[in-house]
Amino acid sequence: MDKLLKTSFLGKTYPSPLVLASGVLGLTADSMKRVLDAGAGAVTTKSFGLEPRKGHPCPAILPFDGGLINAVGLSNPGVDEMVKEIRKLREQAGSSSGIFASVFGRTHEEFGEVTRRAVEFEPNLIEVNVSCPNVSSEFGTPFGANEMDVEHITRIVKKAAGSIPVSIKLTIHCPSLIRMAKICEENGADAITAINTVGPGMLIDTGVMKPVLANTVGGVSGPAIFPLALKAVYEICGNTRLPVIGTGGVRTADEALQMIMAGARMVSIGSGVYYGDIELFTRINRDLRSWMKERDIKNLKEFRGVVHE
Amino acid sequence: MSDLMRTYPVLNVKSHSPVMKSFYFRQPVPDIQPGRFFNVWLPGVDEKPFSVSDVYQGIMEITVKAVGPFTRKMMDVRRGDLLGLRGPFGRGFSHHQHALLVGGGMGVVPLRYLARQLRQRGFHFEVLLGGRCGQDIPFQNDFSEWAPTTFVTDDGSLGYKGLVADYMQDKIRESRLSFVYSSGPEAMLVKVMDLAAQAGLDYEISFERYMKCGIGICGQCVVDGSGIRLCKEGPVLTRQEAEKVSEWGLPHRDATGRRNNS
Repeated sequence: MDKLLKTSFLGKTYPSPLVLASGVLGLTADSMKRVLDAGAGAVTTKSFGLEPRKGHPCPAILPFDGGLINAVGLSNPGVDEMVKEIRKLREQAGSSSGIFASVFGRTHEEFGEVTRRAVEFEPNLIEVNVSCPNVSSEFGTPFGANEMDVEHITRIVKKAAGSIPVSIKLTIHCPSLIRMAKICEENGADAITAINTVGPGMLIDTGVMKPVLANTVGGVSGPAIFPLALKAVYEICGNTRLPVIGTGGVRTADEALQMIMAGARMVSIGSGVYYGDIELFTRINRDLRSWMKERDIKNLKEFRGVVHE
Repeated sequence: MSDLMRTYPVLNVKSHSPVMKSFYFRQPVPDIQPGRFFNVWLPGVDEKPFSVSDVYQGIMEITVKAVGPFTRKMMDVRRGDLLGLRGPFGRGFSHHQHALLVGGGMGVVPLRYLARQLRQRGFHFEVLLGGRCGQDIPFQNDFSEWAPTTFVTDDGSLGYKGLVADYMQDKIRESRLSFVYSSGPEAMLVKVMDLAAQAGLDYEISFERYMKCGIGICGQCVVDGSGIRLCKEGPVLTRQEAEKVSEWGLPHRDATGRRNNS
């Protein structure tokens, strides 16, 4: 394992601080294996629930000048099918490979139910998606916007997860992100993933004078949200003791460094795959290594959270 | 950037049969390789991938057969209507001498544009096309005009009666062809791969899977055994790539990501 990039997180050690974010290439074992092979320290599955969901019609994912906008609508094959894929990934990638399972539920109780089934394959982490912004017509306001919901879901998932650590994936669309992160901490969460896509936002085609996304609105990701994500990570790291997976718009080693300097333990990349393809993980690892070597920095701890000092 | 959604007016519509039409657009980007595809957005309905059936004198052609709700709605599209286009996506066919083009049903679509390019380069090639009936096979005149072409139909209404695979071996043996291109139903493609491999021939084959993004991130079109994303590294795969895939002939994953009937 690369000494420079070796990352310990919640009792496990990963070869790189880079993580594949949920929602990108996280549907099948072969797809996630490719990302691990490219150098990701861990991969996060696409969010899955109890039952298969088709999600929204297309267009569901669109690039625009500042990033991506998506309303995939939590399409997923359901927990039973995902458990099969993840087992397969474990077999292919080895028992030490980093696999984070992203779960969601329609109700508080469903979060617990999905988690109970997901722990069967012993993921390294349960990531709790309380913050998907593009299914509001069906689910109402994301749970992540409401302190009571986050408190309750954190407790339920923690209980269901047993010895598997739990990270709550937060949205910046809540009255106070710091308060929300503290609620997660007080209720037993082991980590925070920050942030989910921002919005929802929308795009209109001026030719046909209609919204382009089939769902009209969708979550915004990519470079447009990087400063928002960075500030969220900075705030959470400054106000809780929880380790943070920083995510939102990271495309370069410099942006990954910024996340770590703001305090992130791991850095998750989703839309970045659109800009730099799967090899982005290889390139960022390489660039992080040379940045550290140039400064004679021996490990990530030396500069993690440095801007708080 | 061609990944961004943009709407284009339909310059013309041509009917091939009551359920099959071609739509013509001003060519949105230069040098569109045959086998690559565009995501076509019918505003207010849905967006689906379609391979390019031709690019000629600055006009791009997309050919659609009515098989589901989206493609049936496409039959109502008129000249002047605005459709969204994103692309071209993926990797297409490369150019090889002495090739056999094997197409089935709507699979002949990308082969038609490939045939135009091979002919323009003065390459020798032959064509073997199949369908359930004669009406299933578009562009019969173009293929016949450009290369020695054999038709095979299930009901014998055009050319020989039978399946394309039944005639492929003879074609390879008789004509000293050295490369195979194929596109069509997967059951046919699996046989074409077998027969080409038996004859020791290289090939390039265009595959289809459910796709959402077209830009290599949603993971919906990744094929088992390889991690290949068909929207990015495909839809056309080389023999070396196709041989790594373990799911050919299995039911495709649906919009949820579940393999149907599994």
